[in-house]
Amino acid sequence: MEQTLGGPGATRRGFVNWVLGTSAAAFVLSVLYPLTRYLIPPKTGESQAASVTLPIKPADVKANSGQIFKFGNRPAILVRTPAGELRAFSAVCTHLNCTVQYRTDLSHIWCACHNGHFDLNGQNIAGPPPRPLDAYVVNVRGTQIVVSKGA
Amino acid sequence: MTRARRLARFAPLVLLAILTAAPTAAAQPAKPAAAPPGTSATPAARPARPAAEGCVTCHLEIGDERLAQPAKLFDGDIHKAKGFGCVACHGGDGKSTDLEAMDPAKGYIGKPGRQQVAQVCGRCHSDARFMKQYNPALRVDQVAEYATSVHGRRLRELADPKVATCGSCHPAHSIKPPSDPASSVHPLRVARTCGACHADATTMAGYKIPTDQLAKYTESVHWKTMSAKGDLSAPTCNDCHGNHGAAPPGISWVGNVCGQCHTVMADLFAKSVHARAFRDLGVPGCAACHENHDVQPASTEMLGLGGRAICSTCHEAKSKGGRAALEMRGIIDGLRKERDHASEILERAEQAGMEVSQARFDLNGANDALVKARAAVHAFKVDAVKKEADAGLGIAQKAYERGVRALEELRFRRTGLVVSLVIIVVLIAGLVLKLRQLERRTGSPVKG
Repeated sequence: MEQTLGGPGATRRGFVNWVLGTSAAAFVLSVLYPLTRYLIPPKTGESQAASVTLPIKPADVKANSGQIFKFGNRPAILVRTPAGELRAFSAVCTHLNCTVQYRTDLSHIWCACHNGHFDLNGQNIAGPPPRPLDAYVVNVRGTQIVVSKGA
Repeated sequence: MTRARRLARFAPLVLLAILTAAPTAAAQPAKPAAAPPGTSATPAARPARPAAEGCVTCHLEIGDERLAQPAKLFDGDIHKAKGFGCVACHGGDGKSTDLEAMDPAKGYIGKPGRQQVAQVCGRCHSDARFMKQYNPALRVDQVAEYATSVHGRRLRELADPKVATCGSCHPAHSIKPPSDPASSVHPLRVARTCGACHADATTMAGYKIPTDQLAKYTESVHWKTMSAKGDLSAPTCNDCHGNHGAAPPGISWVGNVCGQCHTVMADLFAKSVHARAFRDLGVPGCAACHENHDVQPASTEMLGLGGRAICSTCHEAKSKGGRAALEMRGIIDGLRKERDHASEILERAEQAGMEVSQARFDLNGANDALVKARAAVHAFKVDAVKKEADAGLGIAQKAYERGVRALEELRFRRTGLVVSLVIIVVLIAGLVLKLRQLERRTGSPVKG
């Protein structure tokens, strides 16, 4: 004879079946959800990377030189000034989004597309760029260079 | 002294001021005036603070708004802020409170005449040593430049009564530095200041020049860049025409004017076949394709033949120039198409969770090439455009191939997932069937 647990219709077997059924459904859902998200991924926006560790050692960056690196999906430029200071800026020209470069002969940043010039503070000093380059913060941690958007 | 007696005392002074001010202006000689009589030709010392000037006291109390207005306005004038008073321009004796204040023997000149204004302002503003005390960076050639301007020439040669002088753009008694947003010569206000005359058909009647420059300029990319994007370095009237030496740019040097900012295009254009041809035809360089006041954002549609293309204005489809225009347009459109294809496939791959950030990063090079190819159009040589575009095409094609590979990899992973899922489902179904078979054989449920 089955033991009653609560109301007149409730049985121990019924309760166990209900728990098992719910668990099975939860299991199926927990498998299907990630599967669905894998097959139909959500829209992704622009990379929101706030900092990046460069694959360059500080000692390898010579004075009066600059090199482009990836900051999220966008190019950025690491500059070591003639005085030896490391600085980093967005390498996207504020005129028409070309990638800027460092000119050792001019000792400042230059955009080849329309001859835009930026000083070593990122300020637009000549040509059509309407505003300065975004400046990033550079921290040297031992042999690593970490560039970040905020202080 | 009571207020009534004081006003009675000033009455003849007011009358004299009214009688002397306007006629002085009208009766000035055509030749440039020397330094105002009685005032120093070379102001060498900083002036004393004008707080105690009698001019202001009288002009505010005599009850004639026309005479009070200059005294009221002068409170906001840069000259007052720097310590100058009425006598600096009008001469006379600022300390006197009676008629002696306006004694011509003390240098009083009243309201400077139209012919006299530039010289009055120039006494200080053309003196480098004097101006250095206030603003070492300020130019001191305004009067010399004004003499070369259309305004200055018409004033000197024709005594034109409507032509602009210093006060037309820098309103007397309320002059502010150009950096002050309220100044009539702040970059955002220059066009309106010039337009006060040049957009007024009544004022400009008889000069045989259009009056739609202001309306056209406010539709231009230059004005929108300045007013909407807040870039105060975008050009306004004086950047192309000069300010004190204002004149229309000559046909042969329009390119030099635009080239002050658009250096790459100006250099390419100067060496191009069009530079010579336009000069020979008397066509203004850049403005021939881009207009002058109504400059619109440059677009690829301007290149080629038909539609909005400008080349077809001079070139026929079968001519050498027409064929070159079509070819350059094809190259640029081709590069844009390749770049967009690559960008689209990389975006799809990225949204599907594939790692393609390096490919997207590299694709920036194709955008650079597109910008450079568009600039190279100003050389009007197919090879110059092709050289820039080819570099971008290579980058775009590589990026596209990486996108294709990423999507193939994605397809492979998904196929693998489906196959393994099918295998798992089949195994589960097989187990269930096996359990039922065992139950039928034993006649009772299988115990775990």
